[in-house]
Amino acid sequence: MLDWLKNINKEYPEFWKTYLSKFEKKSNRYVVFTTETSGLSLEKDVILSIASFAVIDDRIVIADSFEIVIAQYKFFHDNGISNEFTIETKMKKLSEYEGIQAFVEYIGNSVLVGHHIDFDVEMINVALEKLECGRLKNEALDIDIMYRKLKDINNKQFSLDELCTIYKIPQSDRISSSDDAYKIALLFLKLKSRLGLN
Amino acid sequence: MNTIAEHIADFLKKYPPFDNLSFQELSEIATSIRVINLEKHKLLFHINDILHDSFYVVASGVINLTVIADAEETLINKCVEGDVFGLRPFFAKNNYMMTAKAREESIIYAIPIATFRTFVTHNSNVLEYLLESFASNSSNPNEIENLHGKLVSDNIYYSDQKSEMQYFQSLSYNTTPLKITTSSIVQEVAQLMTNTITNSAIVCQNDLPIGIVTHTDMSTKIATGRYSISTTIDKIMTSPVVTIMENVSLAEAQLLMLKYNVTHLCVTNDGTDKSTVKGIISEHDLIVAQASNPGVLIKEIKRSKSAEDLKSIRKRLTELIQKSLHKNIPLSHINNIASEINLAIIKRSVELAILDLGSPPVRFVWLSIGSQGRKEQLLSTDQDSILIFEDVTPDKYRDVKDYFIKLAKRTTVSLENVGYELCPNGHIASNMLWCKSLTDWTKQYSNWINTPGENSNEISSIFFDLEIAFGEHKLEEAIQNVIFNNVKNNVLFFDFLGNDALRKNSPLTFFKNFNVEELGVNKDKFDIKTRALMPLIDAARLFSLSYSVKGVNNTYLRFKQLSIVDPRNSEIYLNCAEAFLTLSKFRTLEGLKNDSSGQFINLHELSKADKEHLKNAFAPMRELEELIKTKFKLTQFS
Repeated sequence: MLDWLKNINKEYPEFWKTYLSKFEKKSNRYVVFTTETSGLSLEKDVILSIASFAVIDDRIVIADSFEIVIAQYKFFHDNGISNEFTIETKMKKLSEYEGIQAFVEYIGNSVLVGHHIDFDVEMINVALEKLECGRLKNEALDIDIMYRKLKDINNKQFSLDELCTIYKIPQSDRISSSDDAYKIALLFLKLKSRLGLN
Repeated sequence: MNTIAEHIADFLKKYPPFDNLSFQELSEIATSIRVINLEKHKLLFHINDILHDSFYVVASGVINLTVIADAEETLINKCVEGDVFGLRPFFAKNNYMMTAKAREESIIYAIPIATFRTFVTHNSNVLEYLLESFASNSSNPNEIENLHGKLVSDNIYYSDQKSEMQYFQSLSYNTTPLKITTSSIVQEVAQLMTNTITNSAIVCQNDLPIGIVTHTDMSTKIATGRYSISTTIDKIMTSPVVTIMENVSLAEAQLLMLKYNVTHLCVTNDGTDKSTVKGIISEHDLIVAQASNPGVLIKEIKRSKSAEDLKSIRKRLTELIQKSLHKNIPLSHINNIASEINLAIIKRSVELAILDLGSPPVRFVWLSIGSQGRKEQLLSTDQDSILIFEDVTPDKYRDVKDYFIKLAKRTTVSLENVGYELCPNGHIASNMLWCKSLTDWTKQYSNWINTPGENSNEISSIFFDLEIAFGEHKLEEAIQNVIFNNVKNNVLFFDFLGNDALRKNSPLTFFKNFNVEELGVNKDKFDIKTRALMPLIDAARLFSLSYSVKGVNNTYLRFKQLSIVDPRNSEIYLNCAEAFLTLSKFRTLEGLKNDSSGQFINLHELSKADKEHLKNAFAPMRELEELIKTKFKLTQFS
């Protein structure tokens, strides 16, 4: 409660203000995204990459995509992990600050979609806190929950691989967050039409 | 560029027309793509929908392209992985002429026309390919050539394209008829008609059709000298013109032409002569529309000159079967038509071989056996045949046999080229064993029947399904008589055949699940041929031999006939007849889907209702089995 009071006078970074102002209108754009993290701890671990596609009018728009690697040199250094991956990748490299800012600008007021998306959103929120911003305000949809709702299953969670097998989405040999995001996007389209969402 | 765009570019690279483009270009295209998921039976676009801003590539699944004819859907094409469709926006400006519907859940790439157009203008191979596939999704080869000529040579494919294909319930017609006014001079009109290579011109007043001039008018009224070539057209035109609405069926158009005794029909907006002209239908259009009519196919077979010709006809037969199945024409009818065409192809192949080799030294008969003999060959499965020639004196025997073996070789090879694989067991007439004289065959059959299982462990029961394909009917009758005389009251033979029929594994497991393949490439698929169709076929043959049902080889008809001959069990037979049709349909659909013989059904792709439907078809088999056991007094141990 007091947090909220504290925040009210706080001066946010410019990009965050723009982000907040976008919510005056409702969006028909969905953003399917997935993050790759160094682990599952919200406090200790960091985001390594973000991959994302937009879905507009039930179509995945390949051009409207977002794909970055976040250069976590400090994290790797502190934990004594090799950072070869970050150095070798051909994808766009950004610092955490730039990366998160770009992502927030990219998603705007879209509805977020992911697999076990709570965690991804939390990771972003933790990163946002470091930038002295608020929490993401977007609506979020989870394809696992969508599937369970469709089939009326309450007692089990489904991994991304399991869902892909159920809907016969071919596994690609290349494992990357982009591939995952694309698969999630396909699953989202399938589930969306089956659930009759508009 | 992102990783997924790269994957998509990799995918596109494998298929035409994209294989003509560089990876750089493909990446650019891939980046602009939108990905669509279509659930089974969902529409992508519908006839008369406004054109989309993109065309489509199937990434996975199957899309059916259909047109509506007489309130019935007709399948034009099915698009599988890598196929391009929805090209209309490239070439025409009016609305879609067909419906694209997902046959199974599919993923589609939508490629924006605007992006792709630049690549097309720079690459004539791509343009050519697009034209061809646009054309192949229509059913009118003539129009395509027109399009082709115009588009490629002018290289302005998107500027006002007037000549376009009109689907008109599989009836395409000229949408840019020659229009003239009443005051036109005959000579000028004749010149115009010659220039545009049309044989008719519509006479309009204020854009409304008031008459028509055709070749007939020219020849009867001008060439005879009744009118001079400088008179005005209204003197010689036929008026009023017969007008029709746009949505007229082929049959209706034909009737109208007969009724009014005309060769041309004028298509107008509302079907009366008080509205604007939309096009003209000529007799020729009606003929073209019937290109895949069975009668036309048989005629073409009779006229064909090589295996290549026959091959293309056989391909059209497959299309015909597919379309018929889609229209829900009873399978027994389709069977009849298909087998007639198959027989015609075999007949023509034998004829072609005779033309090559010179006329045969003695009379002979070419018999189809197995599925061809039973007239159940919908998909191109393997060929089985035997050849019987008249008896000759021993000194001539060698030469005669040599000739017929050569003849059979030629025939079977050309049939193989047409698309009928050779029988894996060598049951073909070019085999020394199955090409012999009537006496030898008589001996062969009596051996099989009187001492079954002695000389060879399995007599192939397919030798008892005979159908004459070519040659002397008397020889066929002779051999049929040999069979029926020998089998009469032959307990041993029926015992053998009966056990053979019962030996096949049952289609369902103890727990009423499908008995699927456990090993091999077809693991987890259901072998509908050996487990479900063969037992029925074997049983039908067994009973018709024992009841001396002659002249009926088709399993369906055999059961029907049996229900008359053996009225006490007629219900069982009739159920089996229906079951046989259902199972054949499953097999045919599977075969068409995968371009295979359809022997193995992929159960995962069947809907729950279909599975139940399939299971129900097995029900009569149980009773049939019991019937075999009691009738032929078979025990488990015999």
